[in-house]
Amino acid sequence: MGSTGAGVSEPTETGTVEIVIRDLSKIFGQGAAAFHALSDIDLEIRTGEFFTLLGPSGCGKTTLLRVIAGFEQPSTGSLGINGKEVAGLGPNARPVNTVFQNYALFPHMTVAQNIGFGLKMQGRPRSEVEATTDEMLRLVKMEAMAERKPSEISGGQQQRVALARALAPRPRVLLLDEPLSALDLKLRKEMQGELKRLQTETGITFIFVTHDQEEALTMSDRIAVMSAGRILQLGSPHEIYHAPSERFVADFIGDTNFLDLPVASVDGSQATVTLPGGKETAARLPQGYLPVLGETVTTVIRPEQAQTVAPGQGDMDGVVENAVFFGTDTHVHLRLDDGQPFILRRQNIAEAREPAPGTRLGLTLSPGALRVLKG
Amino acid sequence: MAEARERHGWKWLLCTPALIVLVAAASGPLMIVVAYSFLTPGNMGGVEWDFTLEAWFRVFFRRDIFDPDAITLNQAHLGVFGRSVLLSLQTTLLCAVLGFPTAWFIATRPPSSRTLWLFLITIPFWTNLLIRTFAIQEVIRNNGTINAVLTGLGVIDSPLQMMYTDFAILLGMAYVFLPLMVLPLYAAMDKLDFRLVEAGYDLYASRVQVLWHVILPLVKPGFIAGSILVFIPSIGAYVTPRVLGGGRTMMLGNLIALQFGQGRNWPLGAALAMLMLIIVVGALIFYLRWANREEARNV
Repeated sequence: MGSTGAGVSEPTETGTVEIVIRDLSKIFGQGAAAFHALSDIDLEIRTGEFFTLLGPSGCGKTTLLRVIAGFEQPSTGSLGINGKEVAGLGPNARPVNTVFQNYALFPHMTVAQNIGFGLKMQGRPRSEVEATTDEMLRLVKMEAMAERKPSEISGGQQQRVALARALAPRPRVLLLDEPLSALDLKLRKEMQGELKRLQTETGITFIFVTHDQEEALTMSDRIAVMSAGRILQLGSPHEIYHAPSERFVADFIGDTNFLDLPVASVDGSQATVTLPGGKETAARLPQGYLPVLGETVTTVIRPEQAQTVAPGQGDMDGVVENAVFFGTDTHVHLRLDDGQPFILRRQNIAEAREPAPGTRLGLTLSPGALRVLKG
Repeated sequence: MAEARERHGWKWLLCTPALIVLVAAASGPLMIVVAYSFLTPGNMGGVEWDFTLEAWFRVFFRRDIFDPDAITLNQAHLGVFGRSVLLSLQTTLLCAVLGFPTAWFIATRPPSSRTLWLFLITIPFWTNLLIRTFAIQEVIRNNGTINAVLTGLGVIDSPLQMMYTDFAILLGMAYVFLPLMVLPLYAAMDKLDFRLVEAGYDLYASRVQVLWHVILPLVKPGFIAGSILVFIPSIGAYVTPRVLGGGRTMMLGNLIALQFGQGRNWPLGAALAMLMLIIVVGALIFYLRWANREEARNV
């Protein structure tokens, strides 16, 4: 934890590895109807890390979580938890607990009974079960609700109980399957902070599944972006946001401008591309990719990585099509000289008026912000 | 507001057709049975309108023919009561034990094929009860299927006596009433959130522990409904004990029928019928109280 510097790649991080996944795949069905839910998953998750599986629905993130939990067995490959191979073992034989999307609290038990269930099933003595249950109730601030049934508490409270129930047996890894998706926005923000606090306090490895990119960016130590059963990119929130490896990742995380630009020259990890209007600028190349001179490459730049100047004074010019006011910032939709669209995010530092449609603006790109995507 | 309440007050009138049917078809005959149980039997059946407690007396006691003052408990009647209650409880238990895996099997099929399985469960209802019972007779009688197979394989030398035993009645009733247990159990399991089963496994419970701590408490309403549906017709069963139990092992239903038929003692039959009603209602109240207490204890 605390190991994720901005934009710095750290493939060999010191610190113990909690989960090792090698060549794992999961296929549902057989023959022509076979569905590859997971393909070629290779993954190491470190002890005490807040790790997020991020992707759109159907990308395989929940299947991967269920494979780690033991609800599904992998079709091929290996899965080790804390140095022990667990593929083939059931969920009750793994030091892993799950917080389910809809909490799955036992409706016939009280809050306290729910929390104590795992310990009771492990055969711990009654005194220990009670002591740990009390401790967990305090941890999630639910002491007053101990004797209530799950149907008698609110959604946010059920969420806390589900967390306490999964944490009570002190698992090595806690799996969270979109646990915040059923909560309203304000409560969700609150619970995000709460989750982070619990993770820091307990030191347990969290694996968090979400389709909400903002949630992933704010909470995670590392993120794996998934699509169609594969991990597309693995890295810190900074890496994922600022150095997306593919178009899908760039498109899925935040707002992005894609610009198709011709390559003027290549120099090591850097290329010079020609912007609409004829000016040249540097663009960073992804590792192991060398474009041919004159080839048109796709580049990305975030909407906040450009500033407005007077027309002709910046790197390129654009004409305002419309502007959308968001409170803290304004999104200005522009059309560049070669017809490509460009979105600019302007911080509303001063109470400036939105530019009127048809206004011509100059744009200066932040140095080093423009990146070339792998072809 | 007051106007609304007034209008609401008249709405029950819409129920009058149903009320009339209920009163005429259920309460009316019941009242007649109650009345008959306090009358004197007629010589050729029917009743004489003379009030007497004799029928109720004879339900439990018998007088010596030669010495009217020597009163003993009516062992024959008490034996029938005991056997009826015991066999009904056994039937309910057997149906629960057989019905649970059956309902579980259906509830865990893909939704598209569940309809087919439920349809198969209800198929026996399409055949007349009497025919189904004779079919069982065909299977268990001395030169029936089971004995023929076992003799043919050399497992036994002489046929097993299964017909005309309590076992035959139990088997027949469990067969006939099993769907009445399976269907409410299935309904309860259909509503069961299978993620709770996963949550149980996830929290280190074994299969048996998940069954005991998660599944059974959650499908309990199905067991309660199924038990009531099986127990009530079991205790009044007539055809099954008659065909499979022969004349030797009677149940309450047969005893009552006997009084209205060859016995020509309608008041005694009426008193026995009332007793059966009391047993059923008593058992029901006891059972529901117990189930509710369990519920309350869990809170």
